[in-house]
Order: sequence, then C-alpha cells, then structure tokens
Amino acid sequence: MNKKKTMQDKMNLQYFLLVVPGMVIFTIGVILPLLLALRYSVTSWDGMSVEKEFVGISNYINLWKDANFRQAWWFTIKFTIANTIVQNVFALLFAVALDSGIKAQKVYRTILFIPCLVSAVIVGFVWLKLYSNVLPELNEIFGTNINFLLFGDGKTVLSGLVIANNWQWIGYWMLIYLAGLQSVPSDLYEAAKVDGASAVQRFFNVTIPMLAPAITICVVGITTGSLKVYDLLVSSTGGGPGRASTSVIQMIYSTAISGRQYGYGSAMSVTLVFILLLVAMVQVKGLKSKEVQS
Amino acid sequence: MAFIKRAGKAEDVNQKPYTLRTFAVQAVMTVVAVLFLFPLFVILNYSFKTKKELYLTSPLKLPDSLQWANYETALKKLNLTTTFTNTFLYTVISVLILAFLCGITAWAISRGKGRIFQFSFIYFVIGILIPFQALFLPIYTIGYKMHLTNTRYGIIFMYIATGISFGVFLMNSFMTTVPLELEEAARIDGCSVVRTYFVIVFPLLKPAFATLIIMQSFQIWNDYLLASLYVSKKGLKTLTVAIQSLFSAQASDYTTAMAAIVVSVLPISILFLSLQKYFIKGMTVGAVKG
Amino acid sequence: MKKKLLSAILCSAMAVSALTGCGGAADDGGAAQTPAAEPAAEEEAPAEEAAAEEAPAAADGEEVTLTVLAGQSTTDAGIEDMIDAALAEKYPNITLEWECTGWDGEFHPKMQQYMQSGLPDIIIGKAQDVATYASQGLLGEIDAVYLDRGLDAARENVTIDGKTYGLVYNALYQGVYYNKTMFAENGWSVPTTQEELQAIVDDCNAKGIVPFASHMVDTWSIGNVTMQFMMNDVFNNTPDWGDQFRDGKVSFSEDKAAQTAYSYNKLIFDNTYPETFSTEQTDCDARMVLGEAAMKVSGSWSIQNFLDIDENFDFGIFPFPNQTGDSKLIFEPNIAIMTSAETEHQDAVNCVLDVLSGDKELAVEILDFTKTAPMLKDVVPTFPNPSQADIDAYASKGMIVDVTLGNNQLVWGGFQEENAADIAAYLQGDISFEECLSASDARVGSSSAQ
Repeated sequence: MNKKKTMQDKMNLQYFLLVVPGMVIFTIGVILPLLLALRYSVTSWDGMSVEKEFVGISNYINLWKDANFRQAWWFTIKFTIANTIVQNVFALLFAVALDSGIKAQKVYRTILFIPCLVSAVIVGFVWLKLYSNVLPELNEIFGTNINFLLFGDGKTVLSGLVIANNWQWIGYWMLIYLAGLQSVPSDLYEAAKVDGASAVQRFFNVTIPMLAPAITICVVGITTGSLKVYDLLVSSTGGGPGRASTSVIQMIYSTAISGRQYGYGSAMSVTLVFILLLVAMVQVKGLKSKEVQS
Repeated sequence: MAFIKRAGKAEDVNQKPYTLRTFAVQAVMTVVAVLFLFPLFVILNYSFKTKKELYLTSPLKLPDSLQWANYETALKKLNLTTTFTNTFLYTVISVLILAFLCGITAWAISRGKGRIFQFSFIYFVIGILIPFQALFLPIYTIGYKMHLTNTRYGIIFMYIATGISFGVFLMNSFMTTVPLELEEAARIDGCSVVRTYFVIVFPLLKPAFATLIIMQSFQIWNDYLLASLYVSKKGLKTLTVAIQSLFSAQASDYTTAMAAIVVSVLPISILFLSLQKYFIKGMTVGAVKG
Repeated sequence: MKKKLLSAILCSAMAVSALTGCGGAADDGGAAQTPAAEPAAEEEAPAEEAAAEEAPAAADGEEVTLTVLAGQSTTDAGIEDMIDAALAEKYPNITLEWECTGWDGEFHPKMQQYMQSGLPDIIIGKAQDVATYASQGLLGEIDAVYLDRGLDAARENVTIDGKTYGLVYNALYQGVYYNKTMFAENGWSVPTTQEELQAIVDDCNAKGIVPFASHMVDTWSIGNVTMQFMMNDVFNNTPDWGDQFRDGKVSFSEDKAAQTAYSYNKLIFDNTYPETFSTEQTDCDARMVLGEAAMKVSGSWSIQNFLDIDENFDFGIFPFPNQTGDSKLIFEPNIAIMTSAETEHQDAVNCVLDVLSGDKELAVEILDFTKTAPMLKDVVPTFPNPSQADIDAYASKGMIVDVTLGNNQLVWGGFQEENAADIAAYLQGDISFEECLSASDARVGSSSAQ
C-alpha cells in the first residue's frame, strides 16, 4: 500500500513537471494581464498618467448604476440567445438536409462553409453594404417592399446582426453536426424503426442524444463567442443606431480607451470575465450531465 | 424531411434512396446555397467596378469592364508577399508548438492524480473565456517588459499562451480514447513517463492533433488584436492587420477595399478547397468521438 | 469613431489650405480664434527661405531609421509614400519606418501602448492630440525654424505654456455644403438666419426635394455636426462654456443655447431621407451630387467624394445659421506633426521636419491629394474646389472660427462621441430629449482631457 502511494507520488511529480511549461507560458501571457486588469479596476487610472489612484470598489458600484452598461449587457445577452438558438437549429437542420442523401453534398458543404474563412471585420463591412445598398435594389427589381434597412433602426439592428453572424458561422457548426450525424450507427435507427418509431421520434430519441457531444461543443462555442462579439460590430453598426447594438466588449473598449477611464473599463472587463466563466461552467455542467444520461 | 440515418462516411451518401422528398430537400438547399453565395458575389462584383459605377449604377449590375486596377492597388497596399509570409509563418510555427505542448500538458493533467491536476485544468480553461480586447493594455505592458513586442517570437509566444487554454481543453477530452491498459503495460516494461507519452499516447492522438491544429490555425490566421498589438512594424505585419488598416483608411474607397477582401480571402480559400477532406475530418473528429 | 473624426478634421484642414491659397487678404475680424488663413499673406517668404538653407546638422550623417506613428483619416492614406520620396531626395540617409493607423479607432490605443514603452520618434496626429499628450510630458518642443514656415494661426492650439509641440500641416473646413445649381434654379439665396434656412427647407419639402443629405449611420457625423452647432450657438458667445460646465455653472439640461444646438439635429433628421440611419457617407455624398438633396452639413472630407462622382458638380459652403444670425464658417487644423521628447535622433527628426515644412512641392502634392487647405506659408494647392470662393469670402470678412476651441473645451473621446450616441438614440425615439440632455450632464467628468 505504502509503496504504491510513493510510486503514485513519484509519477504525479513527473506528470506535474510536464504541466509546468504550459502553465508558465499561460500565466505570463493570459493570467498576469488579467491580474493587472483586476488591479487597474480598483483605481481611477486614465490609461496614460503615471499615478494610479486607488478608489476601492467604487468602479464596481458605479457599474451597477450605469444604464449604458446595462443596455450593453442587454444587447449582448439578446444577441447571444438569438445566435445560440438560430445557429444551432439551422446548423443542425442543414446538416440533416445534407445528410439526407441529396446529390453533390460536398458542393453545398463547401459553399456554406466558405463564409467562415472571412474575418468578422470584413463580414460586418459587407453586410452593411448589403443592407443599405444591395438588397433594397431587389425591391426595385421585384417590385416588393421588404424592409432591408435592418441596421438603420434600433428595433431591427439585432436581427440584422444575427443574420450576418449566422451567414458567417452556420457552415462551421453544420460541419460538426454533419460529422456527428454520419457517425451515428445505423443499427440504432433500424432498431428504432423496428420499435415503430416515426421519423420525428427517431430524430429526437436517437439522433439528438447521439449528437450530445457535438451539441455541447456547438452550444458552448456559440454562446461564449457571441458574448464576446466585437469585431462584427466595429465595421458594421459601430454600436448604433444610438446605442442599440453596443456590446459589452465594445463598451469596455470605448470606455477604457477613447473615454480615458481605464480603471472603470477594467472593472467592466473583470465583470465580463466573471460572467463568462459562470455561463460556461453552468452550460458545460448541464450539457455534460445530459450526455451522461443518454 | 428524411430523417433516415445510416452509419457511413460522407462518401457513401448515395446509398440513400433518392426520393421526391430528397429532391425537395435538394431544392431547398440549392436556394440556401444561392443565398449564401450572394454576399460573395456582391464582393466580387464591387471589386471590379469603377468608383463611378459604384455610385451611379445598380449594385447588382455587372461592371462594364473588369477593373483589374483595383486589384493592383489592393495588392500594393497589402504588401501581399510579406504579409502573407508573415501570417503563414506565425500560424504554422505557433500551431505546431501548441499541438506539442497541449498534447503533453493535457495528458499529464488527465493522468496525474490529486487536486493539483484538477485545479490545473480549471486554471487553463479559464483562458478560453478571457476577452482579450478588454485586456490589451496589460497584455502589451507585459509583452513589452519581456521584450516580446515587435518580434516574431513574441507574437508566436502570445499565440501559444492564448491558444493553450482551448488546446488543453480539447486534448483533455480526447484522453479517454487512449486506453490506460496500454500505458500501464508500457510502464511495466520500464518506460518512463515521457517515453510512454511519445511511444504510446502520441500516435493515438493523431486525430485530436488534427482537430487542434486546424481549429487553431483558423483563429491565428484571422487574428487581428494580438497581431496589431505585437507586430506593428511594417516588415512583421500580418495580412489581417494590413487589410484592416487598408480598410479603415480607405473606408470610402469600396472598390479597392472589396478587391483587397478578395485578395486576402483567396489564399485561405484555395488552401481550404484543396485540403477540404483533411480539414473537415480534423475539425469534426472532436464532435463525434462521443 | 475616432478615425472618422480624424477624417473630418483632415478635411477641414483641406478646406483651410484651399482657403489660404486664395484668401490671404483676410483681416482678423474679431473672431475668437485667429483664422488660419489670415497671416499667410502678411508674413511672407523671406524668413522661410532663410530657414530652408540652414539644413540640420545630421543632414549627411550616417544611416538613421526613425519610427513614425501616423494616425490617418480617410483622405490621408498614401501621403506617407509622398513624404518618403521627398525625404529620399534631400536626406537619403534617413529612412522612415511607418506605422500607419486610423486616427479614429487605432491611433489613441497605439499611443497608450507606446506610453508604456516609449514613443516613436515622430507622431503624426491631429492638432487636438497635442493638448492630450503634451500635458503628459511626452512630446518634444518643435524648433522655431520649422514653425516659422507655418502660419502663425497654426501654432495657437498646439502651444502649451508658451511651448509649441506640434507642426500643423493642413486644415479642413466645415459647414453646410449646398448644390449651387439647385439653389440658383429655385431662387434660394444663402441663408444667414434660422428663418431663412427654414424657408428653404419648407420650399424644398413643397417641391419634393430632400432638404438635407445625411448619413447618421456614422455616429461620428452626428457628433461632428453637433459640434458645428455648438460652436456657433454656444462657444461663439461663451468661449469657456466647457469650463463653466465643469464648474457646475451651466448644464445641458438648463442652457437654452446648448439645447438649441442639440435640437438642430432633429431639424436635420426631420428633413432628410428616412433611411439616414442606413446611409454611409459615400452614399450620402452621391445622393447630394445626384441632385437628390439640396444641402449637407459636413466638412471638406466630402469634396473628394463629390468630385469623384461628378467632376463638374457645383457646390458652395455656408455656416449653419445660428439663432443670432452671425454664424462663422468652421475650420479645423488637421495633420499635426509631433515629436517624441525622448528621441535619440533629434537631428534626424529635425531633417524630417525640415522636409515637411520646407518642401513646397511636397506640400502641394499632399494638399491636392487630401483636398485640404495649407497651414504652411506660400503654399497653394491646385485641386479644383468649387466652394473655395465661399471660403475666401467668409475668411475675408473674418467669419471663420477654429473648432479646436470647442474640442478642447469638450473633448471628443468619451464625451462628444458618447453624447452623439445619445442624440442618435433620441432621434430614434429610444430616449427623450430630456434624457439625452441629462445623459450629457452626467458625463461631465469625462468632458476634459485633463
């Protein structure tokens, strides 16, 4: 018993030595900056001057009262929820469609995938042009009267951004679902069929549970990605009209940099990191437990 | 919709009967594909127009003559050879080191026993969630103090540091696919810990490495923030940084901007199209291992 | 956002330079700010010639590479190549290592970054940057030899405690651009009062013409026009309004003049096309040129677009009328060359300053390219500018004013920029006018760079 223990200890030490290099690099490049931000968040530093005056937690208290910060969160949350739902549903739907035996499956796959090779900054720029110049032209051609000016109104800007974001990413997540679908053993379906399950029942009782790992990856990926949305906004709406599409990161950036309130902005980022952590943990826990059940 | 599923790879798709329902799905997907292509068509179309055409004619109208001059300007402004080489170099080196480091770290974490390893895992995973945009000043400060800014190894270091979280997370989820018995057998044969990894584990992780390498390549290839912080000197710039500055500076010069988009997207698209099979296999293996 | 502002500034710089070219005869008609154009004609060549001859010591020294951070606006991109070429001719041993960013979004973050590590040798930004960075002790004083080649008015806003930290290169004009042909056809004359402006707007509406072209998708443009309004309705009478604001003596919620300035945005919004929040600057400019709209509150950054679309487009400019009918045309010093206080190559830096301030061919090339007005003596750009006659006329009456006053009283980043977002939200109907005003009041802590 004792001997085994020391053996395990010895092994553990070796294992740990293997972890150290990665940990050091990670700590320097990521954790130290975060700690620095934590430190700045209790100061009234402007990002430029030498002195960084300590102000305690007053930045955090002010955050609570900051209506613009609340609005930025509200937008970010709506954007995240919409993306998580729309993106997952359509990615899965398209994957199922591609997997249903249609011809030239690879061509569709490629076409749907290409947009995610384009960086988000470019995507935003292109969709701004599409909404304001190109699509309205369709109305003239077809004599229709569809409102394409989605970025021009606070009520529609969210939909406009969700569409642009989905155009970019659906293909990516679809691939993951597609691979998941193609790995589902066919005997499971046969068995379900024998049991008299309808196509829809088979989908929900066989396909979905078997896709659980893919769903976990997609949901967590889309949620955390959407909560961090920034690049897409910079070149499209710039956070407008008004503040209708200002995301948390965007607000952090403008507060800390152009607004010269680095301390206050740091408090915002610390808050964001904290919430991101929370969301991801809850999601992974919840989804993982579902995976186990199935 | 046909929900009939079968085991099998993408290649044997045609085993499924082609029914009327399949045809309907095909039709719907064709419409979807056209919609997805539309923005790309617009980019291409704009990139060949003159400035006047842009303002005075319908955006859907094809250009009267192809304005290759837009591309000339874009190529010149992007300084393509340098920026492309840089981006390629940073991406490849970072990704290879990352794969090596993440593999061994994740393995050690999953095999080690005790709280310290659990803690290490959580510690790494936190990194996935950190919004770097918000931390750019401390990131720069630290990089500067360590003489990492405006150097090639500096940016590579940062890509590794910021990519390691996701890498460890991903590789860790693959560790269950490596049978412990094999490792134990190796150890009984007198293999050291490190040797066990390279002889036994490493070969088994190949699909996982493919996933990691491909997903990280994407990230690093398209990265704007770190590149703009760490390598702002002309000779060290990356493609994304170059296109972004072209973009912001020429916001009103859409035709050049659109040509630049095409130029910047083309290399990676060709890469994707020619390596598609490996791409997709690598990208998705994580989703199916269950 | 900042980039756009930058471009705005740049454009006004263009306009100024255009102005200087022809409008040297201006008198100093009592404007709060000395018009940039005035001194041009008075102080002439001799001093400059002399200066040009005494080349800096490092002229033929060893190879030097200087780092340059350039915060550029839309119209600036490309001037770095011109500068390189001119420098190579005179000082082939000096190489510039350029780092060009957009002034609007990237310049300030880059500066913050470099404050941690040491500034580049040369920084090219906007005149308003001098106040921000010189106060941190980061900038070097510019030698009088080079400053003397510039207009005296150029120095005013880049001088702090008697020391000048920036060489202002060019300037932009801002006001209401109008379609001259359309004005002539409809018998409208340039309005000087709100009533006259309203009459034109009414006539436009009656005839189915869109009175104002606008592009409110760009929040910076709302911020820009708001400052134009503030200049003539607020700072015109109360130059220290920003200081009083910080002292709690005035506020947006109570000050009628400030409210009037804000509410002009509504006038524009009610009299522009409905899709303004989806329209970008270039599209907006195109509509103006195509005769779809009669006027556009803007700056010289539109000239390039106007002429690109139709080289024969005939337009003029007038200041947006204020309540008292004494509005002045706004100009804004634009490109400002600053140097690091701690450069190791002061001689080489001086060589660059020598080229920038002394090479008139280069200056004309840059001004023509950027469509801006000169802030150097005896430099006359050659690009066509139909609004030049109007600019000259206002300048000769002393009816021009430097907007740097307003931008120093109430800073752009963190204040004007944020207020503009509120104004947009108000126009969109998301918040009330009162909420919009009190939001500006609540931001008082961010209203000054100091």
